Amino acid sequence: MKKKISILAVSALASLALSVLPTAAHAVAPTCATANFVTSCQGATSDGALYAMSVPANFNGTLVLYSHGYRYPVDIPAGIPLVGGYKVVKVPEPAPSAAVAKYLLGKGFAIAGSGFAVEGWNADSGIKTDTELIATFKAQFPTTTKVVAWGSSLGGFITQGLAEQHPDLISAAAPMCTVAGSVEGELTMAADVLWGMKTFFDPTIKGHNYSAGAAGYGEAMGDLVKVFTVLGKLQAGVASGAWPDTAGAAGTALAAIPSRSALLLVGLMSGLPTQSMHFDATSGPGPKNSASYTSFALAASPALAVLENIANAAVLGVLATYDVEQQAGGAVIDNSKTDYAARIESEAVSNNAALSGNTAIGGMLSFLNPANPAAPRWTADPAAVTKMRALASHTGKINVPTIALANVADPAVPAGNVQWLADRYAEQYAHAKGVAMATFSKTGTYTAVRKSFLAVWSVPPTIYTKFTNTGAPDTSGPAANGTGHCGYTDKQLMAIVDLATNAAATGKLMSGGPLYTVIRKAGGLSIDPEFRAPLLKFYNEQ
Amino acid sequence: MFALRRTKRGVLASATLAVSALALSAIPAQAFSVHAETGVTATQIKLGITIPLTGSAAPGYSKIPSAMQAYFNYVNDNGGVYGRKISLVVKDDAYLPTLAVAKTNELILKDKVFAVVGALGTANNKAVAKSVNLGRRGIPDLFLNTGYSGFADAKKYPTTFSLFPSYIMEAKIMGQYIKENFAGKKLGLIYQDDDFGTDALVGFKQAGVKFDVSVPYASGSQSAQSAQGWIGKLKAAGAEVVVMFGVTTASGAALATAAAMAYKAQWILGSVGGDATTLKAVGVPAYVLTGAMGASFLPAPTDTTDEYVKFFQGINTKYNGDAVFDNNVLVAMNTAMMTVQALRAGGKNLTHASVMSALENSGSSFASASLSPINYASGVHVGYSGYWFGTYNSAGELKPNGGAYSVYTTDSGAGAIVKSTFKRPALPANGLPTN
Repeated sequence: MKKKISILAVSALASLALSVLPTAAHAVAPTCATANFVTSCQGATSDGALYAMSVPANFNGTLVLYSHGYRYPVDIPAGIPLVGGYKVVKVPEPAPSAAVAKYLLGKGFAIAGSGFAVEGWNADSGIKTDTELIATFKAQFPTTTKVVAWGSSLGGFITQGLAEQHPDLISAAAPMCTVAGSVEGELTMAADVLWGMKTFFDPTIKGHNYSAGAAGYGEAMGDLVKVFTVLGKLQAGVASGAWPDTAGAAGTALAAIPSRSALLLVGLMSGLPTQSMHFDATSGPGPKNSASYTSFALAASPALAVLENIANAAVLGVLATYDVEQQAGGAVIDNSKTDYAARIESEAVSNNAALSGNTAIGGMLSFLNPANPAAPRWTADPAAVTKMRALASHTGKINVPTIALANVADPAVPAGNVQWLADRYAEQYAHAKGVAMATFSKTGTYTAVRKSFLAVWSVPPTIYTKFTNTGAPDTSGPAANGTGHCGYTDKQLMAIVDLATNAAATGKLMSGGPLYTVIRKAGGLSIDPEFRAPLLKFYNEQ
Repeated sequence: MFALRRTKRGVLASATLAVSALALSAIPAQAFSVHAETGVTATQIKLGITIPLTGSAAPGYSKIPSAMQAYFNYVNDNGGVYGRKISLVVKDDAYLPTLAVAKTNELILKDKVFAVVGALGTANNKAVAKSVNLGRRGIPDLFLNTGYSGFADAKKYPTTFSLFPSYIMEAKIMGQYIKENFAGKKLGLIYQDDDFGTDALVGFKQAGVKFDVSVPYASGSQSAQSAQGWIGKLKAAGAEVVVMFGVTTASGAALATAAAMAYKAQWILGSVGGDATTLKAVGVPAYVLTGAMGASFLPAPTDTTDEYVKFFQGINTKYNGDAVFDNNVLVAMNTAMMTVQALRAGGKNLTHASVMSALENSGSSFASASLSPINYASGVHVGYSGYWFGTYNSAGELKPNGGAYSVYTTDSGAGAIVKSTFKRPALPANGLPTN
């Protein structure tokens, strides 16, 4: 365990290298230039969002509009691990990668995307910006016939919101690694992680109810430092089971239980995956029959996966909580009635060994009991909750052919978000079939209901953890397929956008052999209709 | 990767049929030819199993797949099941739930098996049920190698059929035996600290047995080092009778360590961790096992007077490389024989539904080596329900107490424990079912 886990910053920070226009307080008409058979335009929408458009000489009439993911709404001081020195940026992002942009332009599609007017949780303004951007694009390029909307993470949320609110504007949608439903599900997961880290490992973590203004900003930054510090101590104690010296009452009461088991419990009760970028929760060092292989696979790997996942989602969790609380005017998450024992009932079976058995599980859950004064629960400000719930949310209605892509082991926006959409669509489809059958009974005419939603899962391989010659885990390599937040390959992104543009052109989802061919060629994707990602805990409790 | 479930032609056909079928509801379903189920061809039935071939639980259990295939090969050499030969795709799950899920997915999506048969482990099977969702997929999950009582819930696990008596039943019956034979003794218990062990705790409570000292261990943590802690606790508490409710490697660690620490007690081994040859293989000297007691629902694998045992020993010699014939081999071949009967009962037009329906309707009458009755019925997916007790002799053979098998049966609830009058069906001629 000597090697430190390399923790990658969330991909939301990545952006195409585009020139930055000055922030505008009102719409700035596009200024365009043509080079290498591509006309590139830049401007700003009326809310000040900078945008970029690129249109190839052989434009086929379809615009592919991209919405980028969550960008932190505040600058981050240099001393913060992983993301220190981040500055708020508003550069437009017309595609998820340069290669995908080139691919689309090469096929005759136009691309466009903005940097949005505000950063942070901006779904309402993002939908508005996208709506205006479509109109601006059509005005500039009147031969436009169709629009495909796609986006990543929060951009996926905006994409689905756009499809729900303005189905007349778009012909197909592809939300990827998307938040779905409302921001509340994501914030609940973040709060569960932060509350668990605070309760077990460092009671000085604030985790929620950040003060207004500069004081709250300082509290959030302080939490980031504390969370990463605790994670480092937990990582150091994975093999020995030692608790961090910051653990307080839990460290004493639960000292007989390895700290890695408590860490895993935090992950399970929050709904985090037990596979991460570098830990498969399945393999260990040495020969398969060796004790080291089994004990690492059983006891250490799931905990290290949760540790890596928390590390990759911590910044987003803290800052999104801070961000939405600032927008809502107070604490928005209430776990005073959360039944954490019920939450982990089924997960505890699969992870029983890593949790150190039922007796240890019972001990840890007992510590988390609301009656324990050492584990105070959080309550929300009702007025703030009302404001939060007034932010843009989804009904889950599918109005246009939609392809949703998710990493099965996404630590920041779990695949359960896409499952939520899939479940809503299953209800919609069943209802439509019922109506069709009722019509048939009355009229004798049956009109088949066409499926309009496809969930595509990026699946981690079974075994992928690497080890050094000394048997320590080696996290220096790339993340495994299906893990991390959004990090899809260009091939996978191209497959998704191919499906979306095809749907826009034909009015229906691709199916049968052609669909399976696209999926197979992309690599690492599955469309198994019986696969179910676990829903976010928030949705399980609705 | 997921692959096509239907041919392009099939997709087109189903689209067309969607409308026309509505108008044809009056025509009996039998009038249509039944399409081949996944994993079934004119010449083959493909089955799958996940089981630990490596890792902490592999010793003993790793013998199961080859023994199952041995019996299948015998049946295949004698015409198969309605002309179809049975093949068994084996996946190593190392007794890791996460790996069991991945490997079961492979069996279904890549290997396209007709059914999963004999998958081992409580936690593994629960993880698979949740993540792979065999029930939702309608895929038969037959004759699990676990006695976890929860799998009796046919609504929650609609395609799952347990074979073993539940661990609750085992503990109830064992508990009564302890009360009748060891009254007044100080009692100790070592148990796997998961749903497997929890079942045991429920059963002992039902039986009214209270242990003076209980030692839980987390699955996978069993080792000589951890066993020193277990034995230390038992010794300190003065336990005179110790029940071991864990996997064989845990039993082995406990027995060997007890011997090394000169701790003497009357050991009672649960059926999961009581296979003598495996205990020897993991380093338990025969003298340590001598005098320990054990429970089983099958005849002793050394009992050559039993027609099933004798027959399976012959299969083992000819088709299984003459492996050491122990309880694992016997369990495996018995499971394979049950499987063949289930497939036959499913009919020539074999489907998932036909197999499961047949098990509910006629599974209770299948030929089986078990000395316990089979309880399958409509909505009842639990097979056996009884145990007999015996004592290991110096050769490591489990000999029935009193010289003859006395089987006691019960349920997983508050039902009484009764001496069984079950008369086992005779071995089918040449060991080939004709049901």
